[in-house]
Amino acid sequence: MVSKSKRIVALLLTAMMAATAFAGCGGGETTTSSTGSTESTTSTTESTTESTTESTTEASAQVSAMDLDAPDILQKIKDQMAQEAAATKNEIKMTLWCSGDDFKFEKDLVEKFKEKYKDDRYTFNIKVSGAIGEDSAGGKIVESPQDGADVFNFADDQLSKLVEAKAIAPVGQIFQNNVIANNTADSVAVCSMNGTPYAFPKTSDNGYFLYYDKRVFPTEADVASMEEMIKKAHEQNKGVYFNIGNAWYNTGFYFAAGVEITYKDGVQKGNFDSDAGFKAAKAMCELAKSQGAGFEGTDGSLGDNAAVSQGFNDGKLAAAVIGTWVGPAIKKAIGVQNVGAAKLPTVMMDGAETQIHSFGGYKLIGANAFSKYTVTAQALAYFLSSPECQFERYQVRGLIPTSTWALDQEYEDETTKTKIVVKEDPALKAIQAQQPYAHPQGQSVGGKYWDSNVAGFGGEIVTAKGNLSDDKIKSSLKNLQSQMD
Amino acid sequence: MTTKQTGTNIGTMQTGYAAKRKAANIAVYVILSVMVVIWIFPIVWLVLQSLRGEAGISTSYFFPKQITFDNYIRLFTDERFPYGKWILNTLLVAIFSCIISTLFILMVSYAFSRLRFKSRKTFLNLGLILGMFPGFMSMAAVYSIMELIGLKQQLFALVIVYSAGSGLGYQIAKGFFDTIPRSLDEAAKIDGATRNQIFWIIILPLSKPIIVYTALTTFIGPWADYIFVSYFMKDKVESYTVALGLYKMLDNQVINDYFTTFCAGAVLIAIPITILFTIMQRFYVAGVTGGAVKG
Amino acid sequence: MDYLDYVQMTKGQQISYKITSFFTGIPGAIGTFFKLVGYFIKAFFQKIGDGFKNYGARFSQGDGATKLSYIIMGAGNMAHRQLGKGILFLAAEIGYLYFMITFGSVYLGKIYSTGVHFDPDDPSKIADGVIGSVPVHYTVDPFFNTRTIDNLDTLDNSNKILLFFVLTVIVTIAFIALYITNTKSAFATQEMLRNGETPMSFVEEAKMFLDERFHVTLLVLPILLLLVFNILPILFTICMAFTNYDANHQPPGNLYMWVGFKNFADVFYSNPLKSATFGKILVWTLVWAVFATFSNFIFGMILAMLINKKGIKAKGFWRTMFVITAAVPQFVTLLLMKMMLADKGSLNAMLGTQFPFLTDANWARVTVIVVNMWVGIPYTMLSVSGLLMNIPEDLYESARIDGANAVQQFTKITFPYIFFVMTPYLISTFVGNINNFNVIYFLTGGGPSPADYYKAGQTDLLVTWLYKLTVNSSDFNLAAVIGIIIFVFCALGSLITFNLSKAAKNEEEFS
Repeated sequence: MVSKSKRIVALLLTAMMAATAFAGCGGGETTTSSTGSTESTTSTTESTTESTTESTTEASAQVSAMDLDAPDILQKIKDQMAQEAAATKNEIKMTLWCSGDDFKFEKDLVEKFKEKYKDDRYTFNIKVSGAIGEDSAGGKIVESPQDGADVFNFADDQLSKLVEAKAIAPVGQIFQNNVIANNTADSVAVCSMNGTPYAFPKTSDNGYFLYYDKRVFPTEADVASMEEMIKKAHEQNKGVYFNIGNAWYNTGFYFAAGVEITYKDGVQKGNFDSDAGFKAAKAMCELAKSQGAGFEGTDGSLGDNAAVSQGFNDGKLAAAVIGTWVGPAIKKAIGVQNVGAAKLPTVMMDGAETQIHSFGGYKLIGANAFSKYTVTAQALAYFLSSPECQFERYQVRGLIPTSTWALDQEYEDETTKTKIVVKEDPALKAIQAQQPYAHPQGQSVGGKYWDSNVAGFGGEIVTAKGNLSDDKIKSSLKNLQSQMD
Repeated sequence: MTTKQTGTNIGTMQTGYAAKRKAANIAVYVILSVMVVIWIFPIVWLVLQSLRGEAGISTSYFFPKQITFDNYIRLFTDERFPYGKWILNTLLVAIFSCIISTLFILMVSYAFSRLRFKSRKTFLNLGLILGMFPGFMSMAAVYSIMELIGLKQQLFALVIVYSAGSGLGYQIAKGFFDTIPRSLDEAAKIDGATRNQIFWIIILPLSKPIIVYTALTTFIGPWADYIFVSYFMKDKVESYTVALGLYKMLDNQVINDYFTTFCAGAVLIAIPITILFTIMQRFYVAGVTGGAVKG
Repeated sequence: MDYLDYVQMTKGQQISYKITSFFTGIPGAIGTFFKLVGYFIKAFFQKIGDGFKNYGARFSQGDGATKLSYIIMGAGNMAHRQLGKGILFLAAEIGYLYFMITFGSVYLGKIYSTGVHFDPDDPSKIADGVIGSVPVHYTVDPFFNTRTIDNLDTLDNSNKILLFFVLTVIVTIAFIALYITNTKSAFATQEMLRNGETPMSFVEEAKMFLDERFHVTLLVLPILLLLVFNILPILFTICMAFTNYDANHQPPGNLYMWVGFKNFADVFYSNPLKSATFGKILVWTLVWAVFATFSNFIFGMILAMLINKKGIKAKGFWRTMFVITAAVPQFVTLLLMKMMLADKGSLNAMLGTQFPFLTDANWARVTVIVVNMWVGIPYTMLSVSGLLMNIPEDLYESARIDGANAVQQFTKITFPYIFFVMTPYLISTFVGNINNFNVIYFLTGGGPSPADYYKAGQTDLLVTWLYKLTVNSSDFNLAAVIGIIIFVFCALGSLITFNLSKAAKNEEEFS
């Protein structure tokens, strides 16, 4: 027993040192301990492999993952689970929130989790609920953390809100190293606030790019410029969808024009009331002039997903700026072979073709700080974000992994009998092409930004078909700026 | 009504007048038909959508190309949206809140209508004032209370929410009780009946229309409420009522798959409620106008 | 019948009478409102003053047992041959004391805490007026290094404290009332004994609850539930309006504190965005209420008259067709309408257009009013149909003898009659429309929302704004302020119209 715990301590200390070296989070007193080398434990080849182009930092190599499946570690985790379960009659009663369309998939994963951590000292009673989606989970948790799910999927822009409300539990040390080692550095950075990782990265596709119909735009060159696309689409009586009535999308214009939008220490900044802001708004107005004639700038109160899938279904859309989650529906509507994906096009801004920027984002998994089962919740969150599950998520749901291992995989699709290389995924490539122009949400916008009327102003532009006077534009921009801190 | 006789009398006297009236009637028929089409159109569309086999939110044609009952079948087989459970939940909540609310409303309105006591006027005014606060203004607080008494996310909490404030809805029933002659009470009192006995034995049997009206309105209430359920049940899908559950089918993430299923679910609950309401309409008229005359 | 006098006026006179009486009534009614408020306040304090006077008088005239019941409740009754009642009083006192010691005092003590280190991450932050004094505290697990909240059971939750504070206040008020009753009862039984009467036995008194005091039996349960689930939450919510309970101060992770009238100032003038939003929403709410109420009333009446026109066959069929649409639950039809009217909805798809029914501010406003007619006209039609049957036929007979044509019959008899009878109905519909959540929320969701609205849109009513503030953006304090404002508007509006309507006078005569 003694030797065992010693081993674990040693293991932990090495891991901790590595982690502090990377993240610089306050561990503090790391004494120089070298209580005998550990056997096996720190292993797994999958973590140190070369990451994708987007993982730039060299730091990820410094941290090595620990094998959480090693019998002694597994036992230790189970012990902890048993201890937590003891307070509630040995039943671990947890809830997992996920997106409605992932419901079935996540449910299957939870079954695997139960199998893995099975023990006769406790029983699992894990409920999966698709009622609270990734877009609203953070808000609901903050509102009443004790009623919230123990583990929840959410979009990275909500992280700041969750941390401020102290509703999300920081990632435990035992999982921390693996999270850092397994995933791309960018995704880990997004999960962290002030150096502390708070969430588990799950997918890297919470951003948007261009999906297009190859029959309308046969070559990549055809999707280079927004104006050209609109013209071409209109000739065929179709449209190009870019929801500028939504802040998440239209912020790309402000970024492109050079508006500085930042979020730091709970302070939201954005100099909308500037030449840059005016330039961006003017560019949107110009596009909106073709509203209904080759350009679709609003979801028309249906919601993005619905508007885009419906548009492709009806043959009304030739291209859409949207994310991977609508990919399956588009493929179904126009056929896999006709679906193209590319970075966002350029747009005419103050007389110059300018690349439209975007939000690059991640979807994360969080463990509720108010959960009765702190470690179990983290174990589940970790499990759902583990490389294997991410790979499976890519295969089943088409969502782009953040795990460097999963990104390196190749496999044969069972139904089409074609070889699929994850790295060659068109959506992934589009995201990577957009990467230089993508802004991480966590550092640009906080909760307050979404409550502001950046969306409303975009909507106004669309309904007015771009016919807004310069004075009106300026006063609206002024209003926007006043809504930042 | 006596319309027929007077109509024919005058008609025989003045044929020109009759012709004019006939023309007017035809115009009325045309107007009514147009209006009925406008009013019925969405309902017909709802039914057609519920039978639509093609996926998606809308079609550019009115009649679906594929007719199927799959949407109805899916309601009861789908794992994510347990429609059958929701129906049971709603039924349970509706029955209990109907019983409690009806009792409360009858008790309160009887007390205010037939009994005279010291602070009656104060209570009447207080009831009026309380009714002026927007109903869901304090739902966050009600939720906290439910949490404290251990009814968090429980169906019974909904029963309480729907029936606790029901006493405030006494106006219509009070208007009805006001119309029952007071001499009945007096006579019974002389015969030695207590007020308790008068209430149960004399007044209630005379009040069938208002009891039916109250029971039906309070029964229908939970089927249509969205605000409270959505705030109270949060993520607990298996405790949703039909209204909230159907609303969730139109979420951005799933609407594309579930719109036609939503329509099927809507049709299924619309049928019994429509039947109830059609039965109820004469009581509704009596209730509203009776209450209106008396204030 | 009053309306007969009214009917004898010409049409022009009637309208001008209605209009002038309405507008001349407004200043009077507002005056009455404040007079009433003043009267209530005066009466309240007078009552308290009288209460103290009588309270003192009863003490000085009371015998030993009565005097003792000023400290030990029920002593007077027990000594004056009302043992059962006395025990109940005593039990109530003991219960109250127990409640206060174990429960009430805790929350009274925490309702305004000073010098609280309310932020666990930044101990240098100290504030006064915080509701609660024990913020969240974390410990770190040595192996897993997970931060666990270690005071989950003892940490203060501002919500809970405020709620229990209000509860304690309510219980205390109820107890004081009971206490006064106790002293009165002790003195009354003392007097009865002195006059040689026997105070009622427990059983006799209990029997009264089925007869002379039957109203108590009938009302106690409804009022009790009302108190717990209606009045208590409302008072609690009113308190919230004076705190900084918003998205950044949400328990249990954070504590919130008292801020006085700041939120009201924000809504009325000090925060330009919020006050501008409030002004615009208020105007639209009133415009909406007027249009929604009268469009339904007028067209519903026309429809009812068409159906009830002499010589129209199959009246039941026509009526049923409209009733069906009214019977389908509102949220279903409204969501359906939304799907039909969306820019890419079925109506536009079928017509091959992209008409902005819901996305252009002005069209959206027209759309909600028109859809509201679709929803509401069948109801009005039903009610008016009932009334039409109640119009005494001899009125028409005599009018016909006088040579009145159909139009004159309508303007002279039908319309005035219906308008007179429906006035209370119109008032409640008007108030109902101010609070009409469903039509707006399900149809447009309040949108479109331009840049100069604070978390609201151009078709938002005050109530839907309140809802969004509560549910979407967690601005609980602001929502409470809006709730109070809605209340004041509805109360004022109802009082004005209620005072004008004949029904109010009838009620006066009746009681």
